[in-house]
Amino acid sequence: MRNTATVRNNISISIIMISVLLWVVLLFNPGNIMTVEHCHISMGGYSSASLQMILQMNPISDMMIGWSLMVFAMMLPKLIVPIQHIYDRSFKNKRLFLSILFVLGYAIVWISVGFIMNAIIIGANLWYPMSYFPALLIGVIAVVWQFSPIKQRFLNRSHNHKSIAAFGLPAVRDAFTFGAEHGAWCVGSGWALMLFPMLLPQGHNIAMLLVTFIMVGEHMDHPRIPSWKVDFRLKLFKIFIAQTRMRLR
Amino acid sequence: MSTYLRNNAWNNQGTFDNSDLLWYAKAVGALQSRALDDESSWWFFAAMHGEYIEESTFPGWGTIPGPPAVPVAPVPSASVQGKFWNQCQHQSWYFVPWHRGYLIALEGHLRKAVIDLGGPDDWALPYWNYLGGDGQYKIPPAFTQKNLPDGAANPLYVNARFGPKGDRNIYIEIPPISGDCQRNTLYTGSNSQTTRPGYGGPKSGFSHGGNVSGNLESNPHNKVHVQVGGQANDIWGLMSDPGIAALDPIFYLHHANIDRMWAAWNALGNSNPTDPNWLKGPTASGDRKFMMPMVDGTTWNFTPAEVDSLSKLDYTYEDLDTESEPLLADALTKRFTKLGINTDNLTIDAAMDKGETSELIGANKKALHLQSDGVKANVKLSKQPLKTVRNSLKSASISSIPDHIYLQVENVKGNIDANMLSVSVNDTYVDHVSLFGLRNASKADGHHGGEGLTFILNITDVFDDLHINNALDINELDVKIVPDNDIAASHDITIGRVSIYREQQGS
Repeated sequence: MRNTATVRNNISISIIMISVLLWVVLLFNPGNIMTVEHCHISMGGYSSASLQMILQMNPISDMMIGWSLMVFAMMLPKLIVPIQHIYDRSFKNKRLFLSILFVLGYAIVWISVGFIMNAIIIGANLWYPMSYFPALLIGVIAVVWQFSPIKQRFLNRSHNHKSIAAFGLPAVRDAFTFGAEHGAWCVGSGWALMLFPMLLPQGHNIAMLLVTFIMVGEHMDHPRIPSWKVDFRLKLFKIFIAQTRMRLR
Repeated sequence: MSTYLRNNAWNNQGTFDNSDLLWYAKAVGALQSRALDDESSWWFFAAMHGEYIEESTFPGWGTIPGPPAVPVAPVPSASVQGKFWNQCQHQSWYFVPWHRGYLIALEGHLRKAVIDLGGPDDWALPYWNYLGGDGQYKIPPAFTQKNLPDGAANPLYVNARFGPKGDRNIYIEIPPISGDCQRNTLYTGSNSQTTRPGYGGPKSGFSHGGNVSGNLESNPHNKVHVQVGGQANDIWGLMSDPGIAALDPIFYLHHANIDRMWAAWNALGNSNPTDPNWLKGPTASGDRKFMMPMVDGTTWNFTPAEVDSLSKLDYTYEDLDTESEPLLADALTKRFTKLGINTDNLTIDAAMDKGETSELIGANKKALHLQSDGVKANVKLSKQPLKTVRNSLKSASISSIPDHIYLQVENVKGNIDANMLSVSVNDTYVDHVSLFGLRNASKADGHHGGEGLTFILNITDVFDDLHINNALDINELDVKIVPDNDIAASHDITIGRVSIYREQQGS
């Protein structure tokens, strides 16, 4: 049974507000956690000295904090529907707890993937410091992936809102695994899009906003038969236009 | 005065003496003679509802035992398919408006064929009023004759139509099929007269999900589909599955009756949604428009607002009466009387009599695998929400309506639609649910993402009885779910969870 519109709207508003707050932090880029810093040594191309220098200037811990912030800021709006599902299907006194477990399961998958992503980012900055080439390469891969049946299959899976146990440890297990599974489908569909902004020497904030717009929109599309299809996933834009027109009339 | 009048298919005993049926048969034959990629063909329109053209095993269109001989080529371009095919709206509040436009579009093509064949220029689709009494629960005989009066093959005759018992005796069973939904007073939402999710279906916003049918869609629509289609051996009737249903000519008479019921419901004074998101249709949620190829070669992009009243559409029905029996006493008065509450000063306030917050009370432990002899779910109840229910019943008065209780059968998945499930709680029969649409809803790459169907049944009566008998101090309930038809070895139906919810009344 669906909760009332008020409960559902409260979930949406709360999640969007947290996301906006995280976006503000991201845009301020405290301690340069969102960008790879260089010096004259690292700018000289690959060497063990430049690797050491990059890691010294960009500690893994800082990079992972930046990555995690980015994941939460960009992905939280995509979790509105599954969290509403958990609210619908759980006891009132467990709704928030199980939702947090869901987000935890989801985040663990993305954060684990973050280690690989950050390794790629460091590698790209070692071999091609301040170059657009790695971003261009992953951008091409992202476009091909975007139109592929494999990506569609991942998107379809994320629409499967399964049953979750109501009582005890099974409820905890189900909420966590639901989140982890959702995270896996999300990584499968969005890994290339997420990597693209991080490889840009400049303008990655705008790129992140654009990618968020696409990723939220494509998750709002209905599942469809996987096939190669040129589709720029503008559903969010269409909704925005349609709703604005309706309100202006 | 409307130009077009849709008449009862059972006029003249539902035989070819009913000229509406005779012309329908001839026009169906004309449309069936056209190619699959012809936008005015029978096959193209069936694919607009849903299609399995590329599937190589049953119910792939190429495997359907004729008649009719269903073509799988030539297929139209991908862009034409994307524009028109697989549009049908189910488990959505657009269910009735989409099907209304769909009928009008097909009717135009059929009428043109009727006129070309020398028939009347005001011909309109007849309707099958299976709930109308006097033997109308049977399919009109014109659909079971193999030949037309002139000896030609009857295009209304369909091989894959098996009926509720699988013996080709085509009728519907009353009950469980009923017109109870006509007593609803809310298109979306719930109150004493209206079970969730409402007469016309749940609000379908930016995300679907839930996959719950509206009350008109659940019963009679879904139930009539699977009883008329039925199953035999390893295959099922066309009507049983949305991807082949519109190949059967009886489909459109069934939907004409559903459309008539909606019109009758409005005629009783009930309102359609005024929410712009309904009036504008799925485009308000960034989805594709409702699109119909019309007889003049144009494409009709329509919204629910354009079809929400018969007076806008130049047709009407011979009879807009859908109640064969007088209405029972108002549901709220009836409930208060049962609970022993004096109703002398009862005035029903719409805000008070409205389903609001819902809350899970209990659920069974794990997923269930349905067998031919049924399955039992032990639903464990949580103390706190159950206490809230007990308190709402104890403090019930004409100014405090006690909770409504719902049983939810969640995430039902399977590979056959042609079945109905009988649901009972503590050995008290509650209702049947129809699995129409189950196969599509269970496909991982289908429109529902593989989450299956979910059914909501009102079991307030069961809890009221427990309360009256001082037996509501319980920890669990037994729910029994039994399929009407045996489940063959090749078929598989699972139930994700069985749960019970309370719904607070009034704000």
